[in-house]
Amino acid sequence: MIEVKQPKRIPFIGMLQGMITVFKHGLQKPVTVQYPEQKEILPDRFRYRIFLSMDDCVGCTLCEQVCPNLTISMQQVERENPRNKRKLYPDVNFGTCTICRNCEEICPTDAIYLTHVFETARTRNSFTYNPEELGKHEEEVKR
Amino acid sequence: MNILNRIQSILSPLGHLPSYAGAYIIETIIVLIFSVTVIAGMVYFFRKYMARVQNRIGPNRVGKFGVLQVMADGLKLMQKESIFPDGRDDLPYKLAPIIVFMGLILAFIMVPYSNLYWFGSLTITHSNVGIILIFAVLAIMPIGEILAGISSNNKYAMLGALRAVAKDISFEVPMMLSILAIIMISSANTFQPLNLQNIVSVQSIPFGILEPIGLFIFFVSMIARASYSPFDMGESDSELVTGDTTEYGGLRFGMFYMGLFGTIFLGSMLVSVLYLGGGSGPFESSIGFVWFMVKTIILVIISLTVWLSMPRVRIDKFVNFGWKILLPLSFINLVITGIIILSGIGGIA
Repeated sequence: MIEVKQPKRIPFIGMLQGMITVFKHGLQKPVTVQYPEQKEILPDRFRYRIFLSMDDCVGCTLCEQVCPNLTISMQQVERENPRNKRKLYPDVNFGTCTICRNCEEICPTDAIYLTHVFETARTRNSFTYNPEELGKHEEEVKR
Repeated sequence: MNILNRIQSILSPLGHLPSYAGAYIIETIIVLIFSVTVIAGMVYFFRKYMARVQNRIGPNRVGKFGVLQVMADGLKLMQKESIFPDGRDDLPYKLAPIIVFMGLILAFIMVPYSNLYWFGSLTITHSNVGIILIFAVLAIMPIGEILAGISSNNKYAMLGALRAVAKDISFEVPMMLSILAIIMISSANTFQPLNLQNIVSVQSIPFGILEPIGLFIFFVSMIARASYSPFDMGESDSELVTGDTTEYGGLRFGMFYMGLFGTIFLGSMLVSVLYLGGGSGPFESSIGFVWFMVKTIILVIISLTVWLSMPRVRIDKFVNFGWKILLPLSFINLVITGIIILSGIGGIA
């Protein structure tokens, strides 16, 4: 039989310590960030929204092939670009994008890239960005 | 000179009896406004304090710093539909929240608020047996809670009421014994030892310093009377939904809620009157009310810290605590008080 020695307890001391800890927390600053009015500073390497520079895109479809969950599909856009004769440009559905950044890595001309823009909430029921919208700022897309 | 006499002197052209009747009515309205304001302030302060303790911000949307949040909540409660449980005991069910709130307001009119400049004291009833009267009134409130529990035809409410009864009988005896010690000391100094004003004026040394054990017992009893967190067996919101107020909603629930916060404030006021010298302090004839409120608010902060830092005690442990620790302690307190009176420590004759 092993005897466990209980530490000697003085009554109410633990309660007082707890109360002091609780009171000290009242003097600290709140950690809540009031989001729409007050924005937290994001890390430097935070990335979310995919942008596309249509002048640089050569329509190689590598981004479509590397995309793990069929977020990117190529679409034909009538546009004069001597480097992109098939007129194929990526179309991104943000409803399924996992921000894996494979498309950015594989792109031979750095035409597709991710930025720190993350406020893509919108009222319409589709998260798909067509190639023209991918090149615009978020405010212009929402309009 | 208190507010009642001031109003009566203004109304004196009406004649003796009508002026007093009018003065009492106006003074009652003033005290009602004071108590409801205090309760609203308590709710706001509690929510803000709890938020800050949990590193949150708390209500900050309605009005500047969320000050009007309490009013918005009150309006919401007023607009809500009254839902009555089936098979209820109708009269007690409807009477219970009124009894709780009425007991609270009745206690508010007897507390000796001290003077504030020209206005004087806010107290309406200056009774020579005030301390007995105020504890008689405080004993009304648990009746409301118990009626609510047994009349709403709900097993959780019933269990909550039973726990509330067990809690009440286990702390009331030590509480009254610690009051007896107060009356012993004050009867050594004044011919009307049951008058609350006299109890305040007698405290050249606050009774809390002479009887720290009594202060502890009374403070614990006031926590149990208001039934908040270490001793909220009547509510037990993690086990019994919300205990005796389970079937209540809308304004009736609001009355129970106001009763809870009002009792916290009332308990703090009573502790500061009986043990910390009430309104006595420097310049007490002009700003005694300010001293009284400062002491009360410090006690409120301590009470809320207790609420936020402690878990609920199991009901049988509280009954044990009441009968096996608080009761012997209160007898020891009586003996110590007797020794203090006989030896004449601290200017006590």
